[in-house]
Formats: sequence, structure tokens, C-alpha cells
Amino acid sequence: MTTRIEVADLVVRYGEQTAVNGVSFSVGRGEHVTLLGPSGCGKTTTLRSIAGLEQPTGGSISIDGQAMFDAGARKNVPAEQRGVSMVFQSYAVWPHMTVFDNVAYGLRVRKQSGPEIRAAVERALDLVQMRALADRPASKLSGGQQQRVALARAIAFSPTVVLFDEPLSNLDAKLRAEMRVELRELQRRLDITSVYVTHDQEEALAISDRVIVMNVGVIEQIGTPEQIYNSPRNRFVADFVGSANILKGRVMGAGTFAAEGGTVLKFTAPHAPTGQETEVAVRTAYIDLVGREGDNQLTGHVRQRMFHGDFVQYIVECACGRLIVRRPPTNLLEEGAPVMLSFSASHTVLLQS
Amino acid sequence: MNHSRFNWQPVISAAVVVVVAFLVLLPLVFLVEESLNTGDPMAFPPQQFGIANYIAMFDEDINVLVNTVVIALMATAMAIVIGFSLAWILTRTNVRGRELLERLMELPYYMTPLVGALAWSVIAGPKSGFVNQLWHAWGGKGDIVDVYSYFGIAWIMALFEGTVAFVMISASMKSMDPALEESARVMGASKLRTMLTVTLPLVMPGVLGATLFVFAEMLGSFAAALVIGIPARIYVITTAIWDSTLSYPPDYGRASAMGLSLFVVMFGMLSFYRWRINKGSYATITGKAFRPRPMDMGRLAWLLVGVCLLYIAVAVVLPLGALIFTSLQKFATVILSQSAFTLDNYRTALGLGPIRLALRNSLMLGFGVATVGVILMALLVWIIYRSRIRGAGAIEYLVMFPQAVPRLVFGLALLWAWLNIPIPIYGTLWLLALAYLTVMLPLGVRTLAGVVLQIDKSLEECARVCGAGWLYQMTTVTLPLLRPGILAAWLLIFMACVRELGTSVFLMGPNAKVIAPSIVAAFASSGTELTAAMALIQTGTVVLALVILFRLTRGVTKEMT
Amino acid sequence: MRLFALTCALALAAVSAQAQDAKLCDKPRQMEGFKTCADVEKAEAEGAFVLYSTDPEAGQAKLVGAFMKAFPKIKANYFRLQAGALYAKLLSERQAKSYLVDVIQISDMGMILDFQRKNGFVRYISPEMAAFKPEYKSKPEGYWTWGSVIMGGIAYNKKNTPEAEAPKKWEDLLDPKWADAINVKVSNSGLQHGIWYMLKPLLGDDYFKKFAAQKPRAFDSYVQQYGRLTDGQDKVIMGAQYSGAVEFQAKGAPIGFVFPELGLPAVSETYGIVAEGPHPNAGKLFMDWFLSPVGQKALAEALALHSPRDDVPPPAGAVPLSKMKLLIPADWDAFEKDRPSFAKEWDRLVGARR
Repeated sequence: MTTRIEVADLVVRYGEQTAVNGVSFSVGRGEHVTLLGPSGCGKTTTLRSIAGLEQPTGGSISIDGQAMFDAGARKNVPAEQRGVSMVFQSYAVWPHMTVFDNVAYGLRVRKQSGPEIRAAVERALDLVQMRALADRPASKLSGGQQQRVALARAIAFSPTVVLFDEPLSNLDAKLRAEMRVELRELQRRLDITSVYVTHDQEEALAISDRVIVMNVGVIEQIGTPEQIYNSPRNRFVADFVGSANILKGRVMGAGTFAAEGGTVLKFTAPHAPTGQETEVAVRTAYIDLVGREGDNQLTGHVRQRMFHGDFVQYIVECACGRLIVRRPPTNLLEEGAPVMLSFSASHTVLLQS
Repeated sequence: MNHSRFNWQPVISAAVVVVVAFLVLLPLVFLVEESLNTGDPMAFPPQQFGIANYIAMFDEDINVLVNTVVIALMATAMAIVIGFSLAWILTRTNVRGRELLERLMELPYYMTPLVGALAWSVIAGPKSGFVNQLWHAWGGKGDIVDVYSYFGIAWIMALFEGTVAFVMISASMKSMDPALEESARVMGASKLRTMLTVTLPLVMPGVLGATLFVFAEMLGSFAAALVIGIPARIYVITTAIWDSTLSYPPDYGRASAMGLSLFVVMFGMLSFYRWRINKGSYATITGKAFRPRPMDMGRLAWLLVGVCLLYIAVAVVLPLGALIFTSLQKFATVILSQSAFTLDNYRTALGLGPIRLALRNSLMLGFGVATVGVILMALLVWIIYRSRIRGAGAIEYLVMFPQAVPRLVFGLALLWAWLNIPIPIYGTLWLLALAYLTVMLPLGVRTLAGVVLQIDKSLEECARVCGAGWLYQMTTVTLPLLRPGILAAWLLIFMACVRELGTSVFLMGPNAKVIAPSIVAAFASSGTELTAAMALIQTGTVVLALVILFRLTRGVTKEMT
Repeated sequence: MRLFALTCALALAAVSAQAQDAKLCDKPRQMEGFKTCADVEKAEAEGAFVLYSTDPEAGQAKLVGAFMKAFPKIKANYFRLQAGALYAKLLSERQAKSYLVDVIQISDMGMILDFQRKNGFVRYISPEMAAFKPEYKSKPEGYWTWGSVIMGGIAYNKKNTPEAEAPKKWEDLLDPKWADAINVKVSNSGLQHGIWYMLKPLLGDDYFKKFAAQKPRAFDSYVQQYGRLTDGQDKVIMGAQYSGAVEFQAKGAPIGFVFPELGLPAVSETYGIVAEGPHPNAGKLFMDWFLSPVGQKALAEALALHSPRDDVPPPAGAVPLSKMKLLIPADWDAFEKDRPSFAKEWDRLVGARR
């Protein structure tokens, strides 16, 4: 897989504030990478720097081996010459044009012929199922329709790189889920390389080849969705992505951890342990309420039960504190019932301190 | 404890509405009546009615009408081009020092058109204007600039009365989502293409609104036409009104007919604007404010800064410099090689008791009118936008009415009204105060409305639910919440009063002198050098007053931003 | 009926009041340099005095300043407009029952006569009026008196126009070389009306038609006119007020003044005390002071104006009245009737109307 986008040591400062502080990653051809993090973590700034809409302070950005920004060489290619495309959070569909004109914009800028433009626009509108509305003024569209137009516009001129800045955040939950499926489908079909920004961890996991978790301007972890979920590197990632129980304690010896309250747990470590670590994480979904031989086992009782529909959440009181457990809504336990918790060593992840 | 069993709301609302109707409509009724007077112009009520004044206007004064339209069109075009370019540079690009530049852009407003016209007559007058003198000294033949021309008048109007174009257009640019431009850039459009295909069409409603407003303003503009137009033999409607009112025998009929014709045009245009905007065919810019993400202009930025600096040079630095130079001259000779410096003009200007008095009166009026005005206007705003009384829309129209009437025409209407209303306040500061209060209504209400609409209704409703009466709720919740807006409106009204010319010019008397018309009078009879000194003293005083006010109210102004 | 009776009573009272004022007071009081019949204590108690005048502001300020020096307890104020504008304003004020002014000076006899007919003046016979020729006073005396005589000639800038090339006669102003370079006063001016009124019969109706083709520019006061001459924006003033030339020459401006052989049209600046003025005693006191040699000298110093009194010398550097050939309208009523048509024609001539 050849590298399409290379970001190295990117630094973006606004006066005293540092928004991005030394971020490096690369995106392979056809790969779909998501920048995930809470608001203010620098993910959007990083994305805008790739687009050329933000002037970084340091580092370099290259696309297809061509330097787009290089602080050392004082090089900064203007946005319009980078050949990337972007979908904005606010869609930025131009209200003074029709749907067709919006989608045709990038093609017209590239001086394509009339029939070519027509064909490309129709193809793009077909992909988002908006062809019927081609002649409608863009100001008369619903939020979801605007989203589709923005998407069609971004892909119509066959860019190799498309950047997505929280494109689904303004949609309601159901529509968001639908669009997620469509987006994933589109990526596969068009073979585009994309960088996607979101603060929604569920969305990030669902549609990415790789996820980059960011916090306060730096990268916390890079990995496939499974890696991020199953092997969070530190407390921040464990907390921010999915839901996890964090148990405090100390490393005793090879593969064993003494949690507070005296419980000894077996763990796996994604990194080479230093022995100084004080936390392990256990995903709430990976805890079973039946004892299994060979796994970590704890006794306790159900303190609270909350019925969510797709799952049931129990808060279980045990020696090492309160643990959250999520189970399918079958075989409901009553509050106060004694339980035996078990989870495998491979799901007990030692966090870097 | 029960705060007002008696319901004050309808009483106060009704009183306010009656006062406003009296202030706004009555003078115009008198004006219409007088424009139809074909008998003795001084007789009241008129003994003969007819439309002879209107016929005469088209017959004898058609050149005046044509001049007015031509100059207003030229000035509007210039003001819009200048306003649009500066607004774009200062809101959409990343040129350095934008905040400072933006402050500086406001300076021409403080300088007033009168000062600008005086200054430009010194800079670009034929033969002896500084520019022409330099040209001659350089070996040039003839004059290269002549401000005493259609273009000259329009130029001064555009520079000193066109500031509103910059303000309105920047507001509409600021409320545009920057992503709309960015997406065009990412699609591969150049900066120029982005501006032409995205920025321009999107701010078009704002530009159209600004164009209409500026055109209306230019039609009613007076100062430049007086200082530059009369010597150039170019008369416009306002100067013709001024001329026929202040001559013997006075021709109130002609003046009223001209004033009303101007009013009809302005009213028509403002109505058209409202209709167009309400139709909302392409109004899509949300009211939401966006974090500005200006475009990087690279090396071009210096050129753009240059454009801004050029504007500041011609609208602030050059005029002030020219006036300062002139005010230090011994007498009207502004021939550079013959200059003889003296401080006599400042001594004379400050020694003229009436000028000191005029300045004091203006500051006093500004203070009083602004203070009383904001209270009245805050009540009006509440009645219009919150009280849900029937006819609130009609009241809004009523309040905005003076906007459609050129200042000078309103002054004329007030003059005529108060000549005939048997309450002897003509020639006193009271009449000026009433006049100012009336013409400032649209400005104040517009400013305050912006703030009122931002206050969540539930804050007020909560007070009512808690058992507060209307009066108690107004004084404990609504007015305190309005405070930052009230302060802003106060400052605007204060400024506008101190620089008021059009209305005051007819209403000033020996015991009620105000500064702007006094400067006009000085211009007529005291020579440019003394007038320049007076104008500078006025400008200096206003700036000083504002600086003091800003200092005193800094805490509150911070809240505003 | 009752209303009628009341009006009659008021009218009678007014007449008897006038009759009382009609003769000079028995014992005029001798002040410093002048005699007065006014009650000086009452005047000082009034504490203020307002003058409306057509003279330029700076000069007026000096004049009332001299009066205030003599009577520091009286705060003198003034208001300046050109004659027509001033009279229009005065009438408007009276219509609105706003009585703000004590003494007016208007440079147009037509308006003075009109105001006298409207009973606008108080009759007060100043002890100083004896020094004025009968033709310089109202008939009967006491309503208005000429405060100065003003005359108009031709002025040019000696730096820009050699004396030999300067116009000598009124007709010379029709030379195309002065096109676009002449300034005049606005139609509101009394002197300008005098110039029109006196020259038209002498030079023929054609004269002003041809003059209009020169495209003269109109200004409100001689200060603007001489200012534009001094800085070279205009080359000639037609009907240049002589006092202005004297004033500017004294300041060092290179002004040349021509006394055309045909004569200089001249009019008066006429003063009178206004009925219902807010400070009646101060008004009388001012009139006495002003008409005396003291006041007349102050006027000459402040505004370089010629006194109608024979015992007052001309302003410093000025030719005396006796050495000038003045053209003064003989029939002021005819002059007054001519004003509306003059105003219209002059407005056309200077481009204010079509």
C-alpha cells in the first residue's frame, strides 16, 4: 500500500495557544482514516491543515510525495492547488445556486466540457440518490439533502483525497446511522483516500480502516478499530472509546496485577510493561456474569440495574469497587442478587501510565 | 407586598405611542399643507390651495432635480465600491492589523461631512488647492483636480457619508459561514473566482440594502452640497430648500414641495427594500455569527493593506492635515509658498463667545437627548417587539419613519410646524432637543432592537411568574439586561446629536446655537482659516468626550462584546 | 364683540405708548462719549442684549465686544445671516411668537420699510440721531437709522492681474477673459440688490444678460469673496464691498480696488430697535452708544465701515465718502418692489435656478 498523505511533526499555534503539537501519521492509498477526539483536541485543525485552510507553524505535509506544506522549506501550497476535496460540518452548500451548479462547481473550475460536466454531475448525484432534485435551488433543501449534495459535490470531480469534517454531526441519530452505511459503501466503490474527523467514537469505529485518537493536540493512539477498542493504550483511549472499567492497583510480576481491594488479576499488555503501571482496563461488554475457569473472577452483588433496550447495564459492587457490566437483555438479574464476574486475561489490558 | 395592582402597561404604552406620533407625523402634516399653499407663503393656515408649487418645481427646478439624482448616483456607486472592497479586505482576508484598521475606518464618521468638505476644498480646489499647487510647482499646466464639480461633491459625500456602506456590508460578510468560501477554495477555485462566484452573490442582499440606504442618504445630503456645490453653481434639492427658505421673500411652498418629493423617493426605496428582503427569495445568510477564518492573501496582503491605508489617507490624514495647516494660516491665502503661521485663528475661535456657547449647547443636547432618548426608545422597542399589543407593526413603521425623511426636510417641517403651534419653543434649545429626539428614533430603536431580540423571553416571563408587575419587571429584569445595548445606543445618539446639521440648521436661534450650523455660518462669513480652526476644535472636543465616556464605561462596554 | 373691544383697547394703548416715546426725553444722560435717554440701571439689570446683523461674525464679535467693554454687566450676543435670510428668520420668529432680538441691522432698505409697516420697530429717538441727515433716518425719526453706508466696486488680485489689465469700468467685466473667474454675492444680499437696481438702468437691460454668460459664482459674504480672490480661485469681484477690500488690504492681501467712473452703487446698513425685544432698555442703550462717534468708530475699527456721520473719520486706510461718486437709490419703495424679481433673476444668473 503506497502512502498518499504524509503528515510529519505538524505543529499549529494561534498566538500563545498550541492547537496541534507535533502530530505525525500517514494515510495509505485507498485507506480511510479517522481523527477521533473530544472537541478542542486539534483534529479539525489537523484536517484543515491538510486541506490548506490553516497555516501550520511547523512540520510538513505531503500528498502523493509532493510537499504541500513544509515549514523548513517555507512552502505552503494554496488550498485550490492541492487537488483535495472536502465535506464541511455545516455542508457549506451554496444557497444561491441549484443542486446541479453546486455539484458542477469543481468540474467547471477544472474547465471540463459541458457534456463531461453533465455526466459527472449525474453520476455523483446518482451515488447519493439526489438526481431527481438536480434543478432545485440549494436553499430549498432539508438538512439530509444538503448533506448529500455536499457529498456529491466533494466527489464529483474525482478527487483522490476527500477530507470529511464531522459531516454527520448535524443530522439526527437515525439519519446519521443510515449515512454512515452509505459513506462506507461509497468509499469502497470509489476507491478514494479519505481522512475523516469526528468526536463520535461509534462512528469512528464503524467506518474507518484506521483510527487516530487525539487529545490536547497530540496523538494518543493509532490503530485499527479493533486494536483501539480491544487494546487501548492508555486511560484516555480506554475512557473515550467505548466504555471501560478502570481498575487501580500495581503490577506484581509477569502478567499479574494486584487491584485495590486485594484482588489479583491476570492481564495482557500491548506494550512492554515497565512495572510502574497502576491501571488496567476491562471493557464493560467483555465481563460475563457466569464464572469461567481460567479467567479473572470476582464475586459481588448487583447494586443497580438499568434497562437500555439493546443491552442491560448493571452496576456490580465487588471487592475492587464498583464495576459496570453490560449484557444482552436476556436472563435479567434482580438488584441485590449475588453474582460472579469473570473476564479473560486478554481483555484485561494494562494501561501505560 | 404587591408591586402595582394597577396595570401600568397599557397606560405607558399608549402615552409613548401618542408622543411618538405627535413628534413624527405632525410636522409632516404641516409640511404637506404648506407644499399645497399657493397664496401668501407666510400665511397660516394657507388661504389658497393648489399644486402650483409642484408644477413650478418640475418647470423651473428640473436642473436641480437632475443634479440631485446624478450626484447621489455617483456618490452611491463610489461609496459601495469603497465600502465593499474595505469590508472584504477587513473581514475576509488575513491582512495584518485588521482590528486597528477597522477602528480607523470609523474615523471619517467622527469627522463629519462638513469637516470633510472644508478640508477637500482646501486640498483639491482649483488653482490654489494643495494638489494643484504641487502640480504647478512641478511644472504642470492648468489644474489636475477640481473638487468644485459633480464628481468632487460625490467624492466627498462618498468618503464621509458612505461609511454606512462599509458597516452594513461587513456585517453581512461577518454573518456568512466561512466554510462556504473554503469549500470553493478546496474545490480548486482561485481567491478571485471564490470571491466572484461565492462571496459576491451571497452578500448581494446586504450590498443591495446598503446601496439603497446610501442612495437615500445621499439624496438628503447637505453639507458637501453646501460647501462645495454652491460655489460650483451646482445646486441640489437640499441646497435649493435651504436657499428658498432662508431668503426674502421666503418660498416655503417651493421648499416644502421639494422636501416632499425627496421624501416620496426615499420612502419608496425603503419600502422596496423591505419588500424585497421580506420576500426572501435569496436571503439565506443566517443571523448566526461565525468565527472568522480569513483567507491567507500571501504577498497580496501588502497591496490590500495599502488600499486601506490609502482610504485612511484620503478620508482622515489628508483632510485633517490640510485643515490643521489652514487653521494655522494668517488669512485665507493657502498658497503654500506664501504661508504665514499664526495661532490667531484658535484664539479668535475660542474667543468667539457664541462658538464656545454653541459647543457647550451641542454637548449638553447630546447628553440630554441621548439620556432621555434611550429610555423612550427602550420602551418603544419593548412595545414593538415584546408587548404583543395590536398594531405593533404599525408603531414600528411610525418609529422608522424619520429614516425616510431627509434631515433637512424634517428640520423644515419642524420649523413650519412650530412656527404655527402656539407653544413658544421656537428658537430655544427645547425645540432642538425635540427635533433631535425625533430624528434619532430610528437609529436608537434599531440598535436597541438587536439587543432586545437576543434576550430570552423566558427571563421576563419568569419575573412575571414570580409575581412582579409590569413596571417592576421592566426595571428589575428587562432594562438591566438591556444595559449594554442601551450604552451603545446612548453613545451613537450622543455622537449623532453633536454632529447634527440638517435639522439644526433651520432651528438654531441666537440663544440656541449649536456647533455644526455655527461652523456653516462661520464658513459663510469668517474665511476658511477660522472655520478650519472651529471645525478642528469641534472634532477634538467630540473625540475627547468620547474618550472620557469610553473610559468611564469601560466595564460595561466589555460586557457588550 | 368683547374681542373687538379688547383689540381696540390694546391698539389705543399702543398708540399712546408711541406718542409718549415720540419726542426726545427731557434730560438725556451724559455717558462716556455719548448721551442716552435709556434707563442705564434697568439695562444693566436686564443683563443681556441681542443683535441680528448681516455683518461677518468676527467683525460683529468685535463690535459687541466694544459695547460690552463699556457696559460689562450686559452680555451682548449676536446672530449673523445675509439680509434676506435674516429678515425671513426674523419674521418667522415673530410669527412663532418667539421674541429673541433687541436690535436688528439689515442692509436692504426694502426690508426695513416692510418691517416698519408691520409695526416691527419700537420708536425711540436717540439723542445721537440729531447728527444724522434726515434722509438717513425714518420719517418720523426714531424707527430706524442708517448705521453705515456700504458701496460696491470692482476688486482684483494685484499679484495675478497687473493694474493695466484690471477692469476699469463695469462694462469691462463682460470681457470673455473674466469668464468663470468672477464672483458676486447671493441674491439675499442688500448690497447686491442695490448694485443690480442702480446699474441696470444706467448700463441697459442687456448688461446683466451678458454678465450671466460669464458664469459668476455667488457667495454669502465678502469674506469668502475676497478669500477666493486672495488665493487665486477667482480673478475679479463684481460689486466688491469696499469695506472688505480695506479689511483685507490691512491684513496684507494684495487686493486692488477699482472705483468705476460711472459710480459705486451704495446702500445702507440700517439699524432699529425691535418691538417686544427681550431687553428693551439694553436695546436703547446700545442704539445710543452705537450711533454716537464712540460706537461709529468701534464699527469702523471692527468692520472698516463708513459712518454716515460727518464728524466721524473714515476707517483707517479708506477713501472718505466725500471722495466717492455714490449711486444711492432715491425711491426706496420702488427698490422694495423690485426685490422679488431681482431675487429670481439673480438666482438664475448665478445658477441657483433654471
